[in-house]
Amino acid sequence: MPAATELRGSHGKAAGPVLTKDFGTADLYKLAVYEKIGGYQAWRKALTTMQPAEVTGEVKASGLRGRGGAGFPTGTKWGFLPPPDGGPRYVVVNADESEPGTAKDRYLMENHPHQLVEGILIACYAIQAHHAWIYIRGEYDLQHDLVAAAIAEARTAGYLGEQPLGTEFPIDIHLYRGHGAYICGEETALLESLEGKRAQPRSRPPFPAVKGAWGRPTLLNNVETLSTLPWIISNGGAAYAKFGTEKSPGTRLFTVSGDVQRPGNYEMELGKPFSHLINDLAGGPFPGHSIKVWWPGGCSAPVLTGEMLETPSDMESLAAIGSMGGSGGVIVADDRRCVVRCAYRLLQFYAHESCGKCTPCRVGGNWAVRTYERVLAGEGTAADLATFDRIQTGLAAGRCLCGLGDSAGWVIQWTMERFRDEYEEHILRHTCSVEAAARA
Amino acid sequence: MTLTIDGHAVTVPKGTLIVEAAKLIGVEIPVFCYHHKLDPVGACRLCLVELSPGPPRAQTACTTPVAEGMTVRVTSPMAVKSRADILEFELTNHPLDCPVCDKGGECPLQDFTYRHGYPVSRVQEPRLHFAKPLPISDRIALDRERCVLCYRCTRYYDEVAWEQELTTNQRGVQSYIATQFDQPLQSVFSGNIIDLCPVGALTSRVWRFQSRPWDMDHTASVCSRCAVGCNVNLWERRGELMRVTARENVEIDDGWICDRGRFEYTHVNSPERLAQPRVQRRPAAWEEALSRIAAAIKGRGPRLGLSIPADITNEEAFLLARLLNGPLRGARVVMPGRTSLPGPPANQLAIKDLDGCRTIVVVAADVRADAPIVNLRVKKAVAKSGARLLTVNPELIDFDRHPGVEHVAYEPGHAAAAVRKLFDHPLLQEGPVGILYGDSAGAEDGAAIATAVAWLAKEIGAKVMPLYRATNERGVLALGILNGDSLDGCEYVFTWGQALAGGVPKGVRFLACWDDFARPYHDRAQVVIPAVTFAEDQGSYTNLEGRVQFLVPPLQPKPPLRQGWEVLQDLGLALGLGSDYLGIFQVQRDAAAAYPALAALAVPPAPAPPPAPVAMGAARP
Amino acid sequence: MTLSDHTLKEIRELPPKYPHIRSAVMPALDLVQEELGMLTQEAMTQVAQALQVDPGYVEGVATFYSLFHLEPVGKHHLYVCNNLSCQLRGAEELLTHIKESIGVSEYGQVSADGLFSVEPVECLGACEYAPMLRADHRFHYDLTPAKIDTLLKEWRGDREGKKARKEAHPRAGSH
Repeated sequence: MPAATELRGSHGKAAGPVLTKDFGTADLYKLAVYEKIGGYQAWRKALTTMQPAEVTGEVKASGLRGRGGAGFPTGTKWGFLPPPDGGPRYVVVNADESEPGTAKDRYLMENHPHQLVEGILIACYAIQAHHAWIYIRGEYDLQHDLVAAAIAEARTAGYLGEQPLGTEFPIDIHLYRGHGAYICGEETALLESLEGKRAQPRSRPPFPAVKGAWGRPTLLNNVETLSTLPWIISNGGAAYAKFGTEKSPGTRLFTVSGDVQRPGNYEMELGKPFSHLINDLAGGPFPGHSIKVWWPGGCSAPVLTGEMLETPSDMESLAAIGSMGGSGGVIVADDRRCVVRCAYRLLQFYAHESCGKCTPCRVGGNWAVRTYERVLAGEGTAADLATFDRIQTGLAAGRCLCGLGDSAGWVIQWTMERFRDEYEEHILRHTCSVEAAARA
Repeated sequence: MTLTIDGHAVTVPKGTLIVEAAKLIGVEIPVFCYHHKLDPVGACRLCLVELSPGPPRAQTACTTPVAEGMTVRVTSPMAVKSRADILEFELTNHPLDCPVCDKGGECPLQDFTYRHGYPVSRVQEPRLHFAKPLPISDRIALDRERCVLCYRCTRYYDEVAWEQELTTNQRGVQSYIATQFDQPLQSVFSGNIIDLCPVGALTSRVWRFQSRPWDMDHTASVCSRCAVGCNVNLWERRGELMRVTARENVEIDDGWICDRGRFEYTHVNSPERLAQPRVQRRPAAWEEALSRIAAAIKGRGPRLGLSIPADITNEEAFLLARLLNGPLRGARVVMPGRTSLPGPPANQLAIKDLDGCRTIVVVAADVRADAPIVNLRVKKAVAKSGARLLTVNPELIDFDRHPGVEHVAYEPGHAAAAVRKLFDHPLLQEGPVGILYGDSAGAEDGAAIATAVAWLAKEIGAKVMPLYRATNERGVLALGILNGDSLDGCEYVFTWGQALAGGVPKGVRFLACWDDFARPYHDRAQVVIPAVTFAEDQGSYTNLEGRVQFLVPPLQPKPPLRQGWEVLQDLGLALGLGSDYLGIFQVQRDAAAAYPALAALAVPPAPAPPPAPVAMGAARP
Repeated sequence: MTLSDHTLKEIRELPPKYPHIRSAVMPALDLVQEELGMLTQEAMTQVAQALQVDPGYVEGVATFYSLFHLEPVGKHHLYVCNNLSCQLRGAEELLTHIKESIGVSEYGQVSADGLFSVEPVECLGACEYAPMLRADHRFHYDLTPAKIDTLLKEWRGDREGKKARKEAHPRAGSH
């Protein structure tokens, strides 16, 4: 089975130090190739020479933080699971990558599926789970097949199964396909979907660590997070912590898309400025244009302006300017783009993907879309600035059941905050000088 | 745990939700999605309050358990504004049609908007539209525009009734409540969604547009449709029964009633009802009608046959027993529609005790048909308390669809043998065990099953619940007046209530009928007298667990209609029995003294509790 | 349209693969859609019976997820991403071009020859290759109107849909 297509990102010369260090190796998705470059040695080390608590300890020492969006310390999360009670417990892998502008989990799965499988096995051992479920979005067909093939290869080679590497720690990895719902990226909605239900987030408590998949203790981690584990176990948590900043150690895989010359997935040490990622790695804006607006971590991370490109990529620096690391999907738009129209597109997304469970998100997203439509049609009134504000207050401030509503609110809030003159132009003068200039 | 809510200290058990703690001290935290009988979901977000210690955001009171020393602020500016915002969102698409909405006057959305919402609407966009109203069964209408998607109805269906014929379709703002493929609802438990709906989205088509809630009075009565004895409110306006709603009694119905209880009441108001005694088809006075009957049936011994209704009250049965012990001695008495189960068992399982059973066994009964609300209680025990369920039936029954339920099949007619074989069944080795048993709708020998169940229960230390079918079957069995299944061969027949299964036997020389509606065989009757219904009759029922509960009729019988006990007492006088009860309390005292099973009748029904004080909510923002 | 015995048998074999029977609902619907191209009422009812729920449950799940089709779609259904990253690189123009090329006026409409239908979808997670689309279980990258023309031509030459079937992903279910 061939890999998808031409790799775009930090392979070959520009390969990153951790996740993508082997990218560019021919046929990396094959077990034999992976084994040749040291594959599954971390799993062997963890399973045969370490106690589960030691594995967790290394991960805690690495300072690794979840790469799905929330950035929660991974080792701490593992520690939330109650001690084994003899009943089933699960590792659930969030491979439902759907955040706009984010393609890095796809990139990892289709190019380096064994690295993920090895990471999953390590996590299973650390929390003493005998079953892992990979919830992979339904649109990732090839990636599903590649991961499935990797699991099959690993099973045949004895890395997992009844007696992995000859030990008495039976372990199996299952795949479960999503069916087109962004909300499944939210961990409790994912669990509902995995249980065969409409994917509506659950109210917490209870947290998944205590009552997760099928009512049992469950660890949920993202593909990138788990793919980092083999390196951490092989090289030690302390080595990993040397990358990045003190509070955001390590590297992460960024997807850069939109108005840049070399869109792609790039592994970059956290703390390096986004200008390095966008201008140096991704080639910067097209000639004659400048970057006007960009989202640093998927569209759910509050928007930033072209003047903020020097912001360091660690989570604390982003938080300091009112944004967040999010999913690592960097969307770049240049000076031809109308911010109100971009915001409208994103609100359409949030309204379409709202699960409908909680009131503010269900109603608010749609209300915003209808207001944007009226404003963009040149029918806005001065009251609409207040309307936008009402909607975003109702959506954000943690009033929704999950983060989707907050994200939708932030798009309105921060585009208005940072590009208020464009809103005012649309609403009060019923024109868009940005698009007029782009057309000219 | 002790916490303070808006400055009021309250102590509640660990695990109590904030919203429940607030109820105890009369602080209103508005809710739509939360319902105390359903799992909390935190969907509507209306119950937002401010907590300390806690995050700097409003939190849902319906999903957050209390903590020691917690301070809850319902009326802080942040909490008040949060809830007002949520209400504004709710009203973005809700039509302003309260004047034509059946929920008006008892609508939480209406009340909460007054008490917690903004005084004016700032929504400029047009509202979303759906086809409306949509009949989703003969008895229930759905208005999707009014729906606020609290999911109480669909959660009830899945969690409580274990059915999924009502679900949510689509997602996001396009979500709507729908029946499967738009087919009418089939469930016998469908009507509860009307009570659950916090807005006017689900309304009763039977009651629709009949009256306003504030124009009605209601009494706290008991359902007369089956032997479970669910508690109900009977709503009356201007001498007519307007509707029946559930009245929560956690020991019996847990707040639910079945569709028979909820919707089978319109006959009470029918102009077709019998109102006048008739002798030889001409109107007659009660005295004449009763003396004709008395003259014909007195002293006939076994040549007299008597059929009595399923919903005969304990008082009526007591008065009848007096006649049967006197002037009507030897008469054959049947109760159409009852099971063949014998009298009460020794080790009765109470309905509420199902909650604590480790294992529940259901023998020879379709509980959904025979005792609907007990069916829901069994489901609750399995779903919420982890009880294990074993069904013993020739066919699979509705329980068997639930994963983990075990089924034991037997050849029809051999239920008793199947029960004895359960002795070493692994599920019965750990108690408490509760055994529910019926007679398979008459297909099995009830006495044999009861004997086998009693033996098994004794062996394994279980408690048992006979699933009587007729409303007061248990009460009548306690008086020992039933002595047959058919009136064949009787020459003098007095039918009371529902028609005889086999019709009037051949060779009848005298027929008297006591009924609420005319029936074809009344043409052959010498005397026909009118009967009252559950909405007019005073008295009590003994439910299938032996609990005596009082009817509280909202209506007076319209003269010349008379209460059942009055008619029986006058019939006694006509038969020469020297007694004269002035009121039903005297009957009840005598009955209580005469029969231990009716001892509860000595205590007159408690007056209805006063309505709960209206909890005042937070000030408007 | 109802299911073949073969598919029904496969559906009945699904539950043991999961800790709870309801987890088998979506894999079962995958099998239905693979056979019938869409989810019919009859088939959803069959799935419900096989998995011990009421059909309403299956309908509720099926209508929640956007990859399930409750209306007929073309032999090649084109999911065209038009979220921001793709929109910035011309997804809207692409959608218009596709609609014109296959002769439909609305999204979801099936072309007269039954071969095509198209719908705009949210981010498909291949942003570095924008604009892109998914069809027949494959991604197609770096699209231009000319590339679309080539793809459509190829699919029109493959009227039997052999290629589509060949490239179909393995049957749903866990490992």
